[in-house]
Amino acid sequence: MRFVELLVAAVLLAGLYAMMAYGLGLIYGVLRIVNLAHGGMIMAGAYLGLALHDRLGMDPLLSLPLIAVVSWSFGWLLYRFVVRHLPRGATGGAQSLLLLFGVWLVMRNAVYLIFTGNDQAIRTAWSTHAWKLAGVSLPVNRVIVFGLAMLALGGLHFLLTRTYVGKAIRAVAQNPDSCTRAGIDVEKVYALTFGLGSALAGVAGLLGATIFSFNPSFGSVELLKSFVVVVMGGLGSVAGTASAALVLALVEVFAILVLPSYLTGAVGFVLLVLVLVLRPGGLFGQKVLG
Amino acid sequence: MRKLLLILALTFACKKPPEPAKSNVTVGATLPLTGAEARIGGFYKEGYELAFEQQSAKGGLSLGGKLVPVTLVLQDDTSTQATAVALADQLINSAKVDALLGTYSSHLVEAQSAIAEENRIPYVNGGGGASEIYQRNYKYLFGLMAPVELLGEALMGWIDDQQSQNKLPKPARISLVWENTAHGKDFRKGVTAFAAKHKGQYEVVVDESFELSAKDFSALLNKVKASNADIFLADAHLPDYITMHRQYVTAGLCHKVISYGARGSEKQAAEALGQKNVEYVLSAVWWNQQLGTKGLTKAFVDAFQARYKRAPEWYQALAYETARALFTAMEQAGTADKEKVREKLASFSGDSILPEGKLSFPSAQGQQAHYAFVVQQNQPDGTSPIVWPKAVANAPGVAPNPDCAAAQ
Amino acid sequence: MKLGIALSAAALVALALLPFALSPYTHNLMTLSFLFVATALAWNWLGGYAGQISFGHAAMFGTGGFVAARILLAGALPPPLAWIAGGLVAGAYALIWGHPTLRLRGPYFSIATIGVGEATRLVFTYWDKFTGGSSGLSLPMVPGAKRTLYWEALAFLALIAVASWAIRRSRLGLALFAIRGDVEAAADVGISATFYQDLVLFLSGAATGIAGGIYASYFSFIEPNDMLGFDRSISFVLMAVIGGVGTILGPVLGAVVFVLLRQFLIGSYPQLYLGLYGALLIAVILFEPLGLMGLGHRLVRRAAR
Repeated sequence: MRFVELLVAAVLLAGLYAMMAYGLGLIYGVLRIVNLAHGGMIMAGAYLGLALHDRLGMDPLLSLPLIAVVSWSFGWLLYRFVVRHLPRGATGGAQSLLLLFGVWLVMRNAVYLIFTGNDQAIRTAWSTHAWKLAGVSLPVNRVIVFGLAMLALGGLHFLLTRTYVGKAIRAVAQNPDSCTRAGIDVEKVYALTFGLGSALAGVAGLLGATIFSFNPSFGSVELLKSFVVVVMGGLGSVAGTASAALVLALVEVFAILVLPSYLTGAVGFVLLVLVLVLRPGGLFGQKVLG
Repeated sequence: MRKLLLILALTFACKKPPEPAKSNVTVGATLPLTGAEARIGGFYKEGYELAFEQQSAKGGLSLGGKLVPVTLVLQDDTSTQATAVALADQLINSAKVDALLGTYSSHLVEAQSAIAEENRIPYVNGGGGASEIYQRNYKYLFGLMAPVELLGEALMGWIDDQQSQNKLPKPARISLVWENTAHGKDFRKGVTAFAAKHKGQYEVVVDESFELSAKDFSALLNKVKASNADIFLADAHLPDYITMHRQYVTAGLCHKVISYGARGSEKQAAEALGQKNVEYVLSAVWWNQQLGTKGLTKAFVDAFQARYKRAPEWYQALAYETARALFTAMEQAGTADKEKVREKLASFSGDSILPEGKLSFPSAQGQQAHYAFVVQQNQPDGTSPIVWPKAVANAPGVAPNPDCAAAQ
Repeated sequence: MKLGIALSAAALVALALLPFALSPYTHNLMTLSFLFVATALAWNWLGGYAGQISFGHAAMFGTGGFVAARILLAGALPPPLAWIAGGLVAGAYALIWGHPTLRLRGPYFSIATIGVGEATRLVFTYWDKFTGGSSGLSLPMVPGAKRTLYWEALAFLALIAVASWAIRRSRLGLALFAIRGDVEAAADVGISATFYQDLVLFLSGAATGIAGGIYASYFSFIEPNDMLGFDRSISFVLMAVIGGVGTILGPVLGAVVFVLLRQFLIGSYPQLYLGLYGALLIAVILFEPLGLMGLGHRLVRRAAR
């Protein structure tokens, strides 16, 4: 019984992790940029949802498409006006890393000024309900979040494998130079991808906000967990991301059997370092959007 | 830019000349007006402001037969220790206040009081209850919060009474979770000491700490769930109580007795969680407005009601009483001189709105006030009557939690 | 060059005499600045010279601080030795996680350090027997000790500044610059990236740890979330990068401006300083990669023309 309950908890958690991580992996896979502002996007999604919910009474489920569009536009603009001017790849890595980190700090403080540093939560009619299924309790909000995350990832998989835009993104990821020759506007694809990654982060933040309480530093832990998943799961593969997210969630949840619950939060970080160290070179996976 | 230059200039400025005799008493304080403790910081602010308004209405402090205006310099420490410490330093050494009133929550008070001690300035607080703070035997530090150990003991007192009436199983399995601060450790000590004294009656099956202001308690609650306990005792600050209890409810947990230490009866919690979900939550607090039937206490409750159009909770009462204790000591000393005020506070003994009606700062306890907690329990109608100790109780309380039967 | 040395010596003497004329408040600010300047310089050995950007230096700051505090509480060693002991433990700890992770370059190393920093913070807050948990540790206050600590912090800063200069000019510095430029080319001419990076991480970690120890003594209260928080790690990065990565005067400028700006804003907008620094960081990366130092050079050149 206990085992089943923990398993269910882990699977539900994994959906959110996969969604948080996928945007980060996508941007790295296509642009070769580690988007440290990812945490900021997650936080912004949460606060946007909060504002829409508290001021306009919009249920997070309704505001989700709106937040996806807003986050997409933000990512697109960020790419067009800032990220585009940066060097890429191994040598320019430090610069883009620091710059996007600066963007994150600015976002955090903008939110701090608007909403103060107080803890917030999006509370809906369904946020304190649970379904009972064969003795296992299923928190409604977690089930909804899981379902939406799966839906988003499925949609993304379809987009990348079945549509022209998706094929263009994959082609650019593999070889930007030959794409230019083939008449694909690489810059456009980059901006599109950056927007897509940001939209995923924003929506993940919104969904997370219905489960956890948050403040302007929300997103830093989520960013780290996203790294763990991306590093373990490889890039751009929806199945890889999903299974890595599941591994992380399982390890975290089942860690309570051997560790004080306090330290289960550190498990992900240790895992991150271990994976990075044990898989040098092929860190972010050789598979690029395969 | 000009301000920045000013700071630079200040930084390199020389010592100021000695000050002339006081024509105005300034009292400094920081409170967590934003950040994790923002809500409660706001409550303390109400208490402080009421006390200062009342004093000003009298024309100020009567020092040696002369009325001297008294003002409060209040700043926001953002619920972080580093800011609380830096601001205390600024208030003492830059704004030159005559005394400090404490901030709220043990870990901030513990950090900040060290600055006051070092600068030899009276620090009176109603926001730090952990006994560890006072075990340092500081001379300028005075606390109005009774030790948190007594809180755990008070809760267990009521639980023990219920068990003796066969309303709770014997032995009762206790799930004990506490925040990883001096406050939480004291709470844990109070509960475990009680359980150890009553052999065979209680069994602590979960004994875990959690991080202050954590955002996700799923791991901890999974452990609690697996332990199959009868009683859930947590020690949490208000934001953690709300976050944890929300996850507690959605995880389908239910215990025969539920408590979050001092939290439980707050209106904010009922609003955030829904009245149904905070039913029968037990809490032990330093003060309850139902004590206010006569004398000083009633005067405070009435004044608060008139000023803020609602009833005070223990937060405002402690803040109010803290400021009042400092005023009284200054008036008795007839001066705002730091050393003389400190001496007066050390030998202080006077009437109070606190539960036992008296206030003093016994030096044997590191100048921390000692008095009994009142235990209250939320009822379905939204009230929280006092259920323990019996002498002041106005309701028997309910155990086991009737909602669990329905849930299972 | 001689002028530079003379100026530095004069500044040192002036700073050493200053406490006689300082209010306690300014006194505290100055000491804090010394410690942060030293830490920013030590961060720069790894981040600037070797080009390995660490987001986890707070782990060593905290380790050094808590080890020193524990030794002082036990009364086992006099303060300077306790700080050194704390520094050595911090350096050793840096090696433990650094040796495997320094093989990673660029963003991978940075990401790993975020993980190390956060994991260390969690373990330290949990481990209340050692750190006092979220409540932290209070150290006994010695009357008059702050004056001495001011000089000790200043001496430590002078030492670190000289070390920064020496490392830059030494074989170690040259090796690090070569590694930053191209690891493989460096290996071809016989420069072992592993050895030199481990060495500089140890030195950087130990210096950061010592700064943590002095910080603990000066403020006589330390707490894991403050010592090891992500904001602490960030502040080291910001001071060095905004001042001018890889230079010596840059981190000094960066740290002084950081402390003043933070102190100035803390009363009115307690957390705004990080946002301002974020904006500065963006500007630096986009327009002036050498930070305040680069800006200074530009102004000097323009004035000379």
